[in-house]
This record gives sequence, structure tokens and C-alpha cells, in this order.
Amino acid sequence: MAATTDTEHEEHTGTASRPPAVRRRPGPIARAVSFFGELLITAGLVLGLFVVYSLWWTNVVADRAAGRQADQVRDDWAHGRGGPGALDTKNGIGFLHVPAMSGSEVLVEKGTSNKILNDGVAGYYTDPVKATLPMSGKPGNFSLAAHRDGHGAKFHNIDKIEKGDPIIFETKDKWYVYKTYAILPETSKFNVKVLSNVPKESGRKKPGHYITLTTCTPVYTSTYRYVVWGELERVEKVDENRTPPKELG
Amino acid sequence: MGLVPWYDGRDGMYGWIWRHLPGNTWVKAVISLALVVAVVYVLFQYVFPWAEPLLPFNDVTVDNQ
Repeated sequence: MAATTDTEHEEHTGTASRPPAVRRRPGPIARAVSFFGELLITAGLVLGLFVVYSLWWTNVVADRAAGRQADQVRDDWAHGRGGPGALDTKNGIGFLHVPAMSGSEVLVEKGTSNKILNDGVAGYYTDPVKATLPMSGKPGNFSLAAHRDGHGAKFHNIDKIEKGDPIIFETKDKWYVYKTYAILPETSKFNVKVLSNVPKESGRKKPGHYITLTTCTPVYTSTYRYVVWGELERVEKVDENRTPPKELG
Repeated sequence: MGLVPWYDGRDGMYGWIWRHLPGNTWVKAVISLALVVAVVYVLFQYVFPWAEPLLPFNDVTVDNQ
């Protein structure tokens, strides 16, 4: 392509000054400049592909992985495996439903390492502050993290959650219905206090059953963290048809 | 001679590759396409997954570090 253009160019300009057949070798500076230019073009293409990878391909891969793992969990539940007696934390402990954020459910697994979260799931914290699982029945904070962009982007629309919106956690035999009561739109990534059993920044001073969602903000960066707090409103038993609570109806 | 084989050529790296591909224009075009697909595959499968954690775009947790 480049060669054709060059030849044409030479034919147009070359007729007056020199015979068109002569191919002038470019000087060392011209060669260095064109070599550098080609490197820049290549780098630009690679960076462009990286954006495509980050914002599209990782979602494809993550949604596939999350779908597979979610099917596994549902299958285990349907066949009576897992559950509170034999809590299998490897494949996920339940599903998060936040209608204000997304129409689809988010599988919840143990841990917040990239390896876990890159599968398009939400992870509950084991470090630096251990999350209290709602199934334990103890007061504490059920703290979760998920990606804002790429890798399933499960918490992409976290900013759509408003005070009073329901956050529902589904396990094998219980629906835990939380209600959003506080939002922290921007905090330092070192602010581990938001994960405390009693998250004081949310305004609560007494032990209770809390849920905390964390992700990065603003979108497409990870400069700060976005935090949403909810408090347990009620627990419903799952019936044989798995009828969802009225908030999800 | 320069640093790389195509450095001395007049049409750069991509021109050098094109001239060294066998066959007529159609064959060259098909091979080029296959090369592009192969490069994209290697980038998506190996290079980007390796590079991503090193870049500060996708940390979502709060921690002490």
C-alpha cells in the first residue's frame, strides 16, 4: 500500500527533475524518522487494541466465566448440595440483586483478588477486614467489591443506587433484604474503615447487620473508591418456587 | 545496515514484510490478514492479561497498601 503510493508520488514529481525509474535511497535522517514514525503507529494500534480488550473482551470472558459458575451454584442448590450445612465457598455463596444498578444477578464469591473478581463476580472481603457473612446471623458488615469497568463490570452503575433502594442477597434458602441508607461517592483507596463491622462514616454507631458495596470511581479509572451502605431490613425464607421478594417483582 | 533488516529499506517495516511475503497480491493479502489475526490473538491472550494488573486502571478494593 505504502509502496504503491510512493511510486505514484514519484511519478508525479519525478518527471520534471529526474527519470521515473530512479529510486532515490532516503538519507539516514529520513530513515530514522520513518522508523520512529512506524514505531509510533504500531504503539498507537496496540494501545487502541488494549482499550478494546479492557472495555469489551474482558467483559465477554468474564460473563462467560460468571455464567458457568452461576449455573454450577444453581445446579448444586437444586440438587441439595451446598447450603448452610456444607457451605461451599469455592463456587460462590449466593447472588446479589440490586435492581437500581442492574437487571441481572451478580454471583458472590470469597475473596477480592483480581483472580476472583476478573471472573465477573462480586467478592466478599477476607482482607484487610474480614466480611461477616449474613448466613452467620451475627451482627457485622458484609463487605463486597466488584469491577466498575471491564471484567463483567458488575458494579458499573453503582452511582444509580439511591438511598432507600433495596439490595438483596440470595442464598440457597434465604433472601436477605437490605436497604441502602448511606452513600460515599468518593473516598481514598486506603480508607479501610468503610469495611468496619460498624461503619462509622455511614452514620451508624451501633452494631447491626450491614452490607457494603465498594468499587472504583470515577469510571474508567481507579483513583478513588465509591461506597454504598445498606442495612438488613428483613430475612425471607426461600419457597419451593424461589419466589423473589416483592422488591424484585 | 541499521538496527533491523527493514531499517535500510525505503518503505519501512510493513513494506519490508509485504515484499517478503510469497505469492501474488491476493496471497500476500490473505497471509497479511492471518498475521494480523495472530498478533491480535497473542496480545489478547497473553500480553494484555499480563500487562493489565501492572496498570492502575482497575483496582476496585480498599486496602492498606
